[in-house]
Amino acid sequence: VKKFSGLILCCAVMLLALQGCSTTASTGTARPAVIEKGRPAPVARDRPAPVAPPREQFETPAVAPQPPAVLALLEQAEQQANAGDLEASAASLERAIRINPGNAVLWYHLATVRLAQGEALQAEQLAVKSSSLAPGNTIQQARNWKLIAAARRQRSDVKGANAAEQRARELERH
Amino acid sequence: MARRRTRGRRKSRRKTARRSIWSRLFIFLLILLAGYIVYLDFQVRHQFAGKRWSLPARVYARPLELYAGQSLSADQFAAELQALQYRPVRSPRKPGEYSRNVNKFHLLSRPFDFWDGNESAQNLRVTFAGGSISRLEDGSSGAATSLARLDPVLVGSFYPSHNEDRVLLQLDEVPVALTDALIAVEDRGFYRHHGIAPLAIARAMWVNIRAAGVVQGGSTLTQQLVKNFFLSSERSLLRKINEAFMALLLEWHYDKDEILEAYINEVYLGQDGKRSINGFGLASYFYFERPLSELSVEQYALLVGLVKGPSYYNPRRHPERARSRRNLVLDVMVELELLDAQEAERAKQRGLGVSHLERKAINTFPAFLDLVRHQLQRDYRDEDITSEGLSIFTTLDPQVQWQLEQVFASRLKSLESGRGIEAGKLEGAAVITSVQGGEVLALAGGRDPGFAGFNRALNARRQVGSLLKPAVYLTALEQPQRYTLATLLDDSPLTFTARNGDTWEPRNYDKEYHGHVPLYHALAHSYNVATARLGLVLGIDAVIGTLRRLGIEQHLNPYPSLVLGAVELSPLQVTGMYQTFASGGFRMPLRAISAVLAADKSPLQRYSLSVQSVINPAANHLVTSAMRHAVREGTGRALLQSFPAERFVAGKTGTTDDLRDSWFAGFTDERLGVIWIGRDDNQATGLTGSSGALLVWRDLFSKFRPAGWSQPAAEGIEYQWIDPVNGLLADAGCADAVQLPFIGGSAPLETAPCKKDESPAPGTVEWFKGLFE
Repeated sequence: VKKFSGLILCCAVMLLALQGCSTTASTGTARPAVIEKGRPAPVARDRPAPVAPPREQFETPAVAPQPPAVLALLEQAEQQANAGDLEASAASLERAIRINPGNAVLWYHLATVRLAQGEALQAEQLAVKSSSLAPGNTIQQARNWKLIAAARRQRSDVKGANAAEQRARELERH
Repeated sequence: MARRRTRGRRKSRRKTARRSIWSRLFIFLLILLAGYIVYLDFQVRHQFAGKRWSLPARVYARPLELYAGQSLSADQFAAELQALQYRPVRSPRKPGEYSRNVNKFHLLSRPFDFWDGNESAQNLRVTFAGGSISRLEDGSSGAATSLARLDPVLVGSFYPSHNEDRVLLQLDEVPVALTDALIAVEDRGFYRHHGIAPLAIARAMWVNIRAAGVVQGGSTLTQQLVKNFFLSSERSLLRKINEAFMALLLEWHYDKDEILEAYINEVYLGQDGKRSINGFGLASYFYFERPLSELSVEQYALLVGLVKGPSYYNPRRHPERARSRRNLVLDVMVELELLDAQEAERAKQRGLGVSHLERKAINTFPAFLDLVRHQLQRDYRDEDITSEGLSIFTTLDPQVQWQLEQVFASRLKSLESGRGIEAGKLEGAAVITSVQGGEVLALAGGRDPGFAGFNRALNARRQVGSLLKPAVYLTALEQPQRYTLATLLDDSPLTFTARNGDTWEPRNYDKEYHGHVPLYHALAHSYNVATARLGLVLGIDAVIGTLRRLGIEQHLNPYPSLVLGAVELSPLQVTGMYQTFASGGFRMPLRAISAVLAADKSPLQRYSLSVQSVINPAANHLVTSAMRHAVREGTGRALLQSFPAERFVAGKTGTTDDLRDSWFAGFTDERLGVIWIGRDDNQATGLTGSSGALLVWRDLFSKFRPAGWSQPAAEGIEYQWIDPVNGLLADAGCADAVQLPFIGGSAPLETAPCKKDESPAPGTVEWFKGLFE
């Protein structure tokens, strides 16, 4: 329990920042999802992290920075997990998701907590959800695939776990 | 002589016989009495220790989270505080008080036991600007606070059938001032007697004579408890005897504190319609709209004074009587040195402080509570729900619910008057959820939100019409090698002949045929013929399979008309299906409950967030993209005026034959709403989806501020310019060209005639670049 939860906060800030960057990255490679002429893009309005905003932002959406409330809840979730209260930790992460539902990092952490609780199936689904919110963010996606691998291994699905690990490695190579 | 002797012997024999009859009778009576006492003893112990009280379940709304950036206006916040019965004061000193200066609030929040721990009382300053919280800080230090959670609004209770209500208190939660005053006035010898106190009657008389009024009654608290607890209110000798025996028995089995605690929770203190007000905990809310711990001394005195006669001293109906009774109690407190004389004088000067009794329904949001109860019944027995004192935390957002109720009533009224429909004939239902959490935020079961009758959101099964079409298109778009949003569909006359010889000729709503139209356009404009042909090609079973994955669990008959929505679903079922679209292809249970606590506040159960990936995210992105077109240029274009172009809004209208049902299901990044309008007698309403339900949706959703984030396009999606006339690759320079998403590699390769092969003019480039910067 301590092993994984200790990671939560130190990774959180970094990943939030990365998420901000990756949004830009994804809009850079694929076209922004402009539906009609003269309309701004519907995607990539993700909130940038409070940490240094990426320099080469494709578009500068007029949205508020990552609410400190989310960071406070992440910290709380970490403490609860360290104290062994995984369900309370999950509840705190759900509160954070309610405030910022598009944050792939929060879903990833919820998946981690579920895995620690032995809920491998739900952990995998939450990791898939996290990836769906972070298109183009290979770092987050690789982490999600590693988690999926662990979840499959927990369910004794060795073949599936190996495939997931393979995906994680491919993404890391990017 | 002999006769006499015989007579004498007979006499004495008769005497002994009589004596033995008496003694037998006496013994018999003694046994009867013993039996009776055993019976009473059983009653006393059974009732007192066993099911002492049935405690209704308390149902709470979601707690309001406060943080900088939270979408909430100052007025909405004030409404929430009012619903929480916080008191506006000049400067807050106790929990449950607040002050407001335009956009700045200062409040002392109440402590509360949540599922995941206790929230302590906090001193907070909240500043609003532009419809959201701009600053949240600690009220004493001024330091920024990242997050605070208010106590949740109590939205209802589940009562047992006899309408018993109670706010159960433990003795250590009861202010000493109250118990002191109670014992002083009602039973000074409480801690000394054994249940009955013959001397107390004499003392009471003496006190009453001295005070020139009735201050004390003769019966002990124990006797009063027995009276309240076990017996009817008839006045008879037998009842008095029963009462005395039971009081003695109660004292024999239980200690004084247990009896006092029971008394405090049981004593009858008022009546609210059918609901009786028992116990000081509930009475405090009933008369002062706040917890007992927040009352002041004269308010305790008033409550203690009420014990003698809740109806005679009813402070709302007889304020003068109540006042003098209250002051008498204060005098007794001074006499027994429980209260300083000066303080008592000041307290006497104060008003009664009783709140206005609004005859509001016990349950504020009956339709939502219906859903809560429905979901609880999966895990709990009925008697547990109504009597175990559960705390039920729901997902209800009162702000959304209030807005929904307001727009629903006024829009239905204006639809009726605008279309000459008899007033009150239109009915409707609505379900509003959070897109990523599947939490039910608000629910309307009919046009009158206070009416706890037929809940149409849960129980009305109506034909869904075109609301079903996205499932057909999704089935197609999951095969990117065969179908894209640009694929041309055939919307020319169609006659389908079933194996049994029956024929089916679907028609379009505008009674016309549109030739070949791109797939996204056919869905956006809800063309029946193109959809039917597509559905038949895909196979009805394949469409049913998609509906299953989307979350429709009920049995569906594989008739061709299914693809045009000839299936009856409740608004809640439709919501489940659109939840999957809105969340990016993830199915999730619609949750009305987040957690349940037992009476002792220990966690019983949590209903947590869970997701299941059921639809390829890329295919889901395509179909929601077509639903965006529906509200921009298709059947839902009436929305256009109310939402800025860049705001993400997607949805689908539904209209059934003869205009019996008017549906709209739509979502933004943050919320999903499904609205149904129709008549209970299933007559025509004259409304299509866009002229009815959509307007309710628009009224409601235009009140919401845009979310600060947006669902990103799925992995592997690329956008291309398409000429809608032929579905071929175009560029920004083409007239009427639209940019459509494609699953990687599935975009058409052939170019439209309008596309210039040479690079576009510089002006176009600048304009094009401007789009993304």
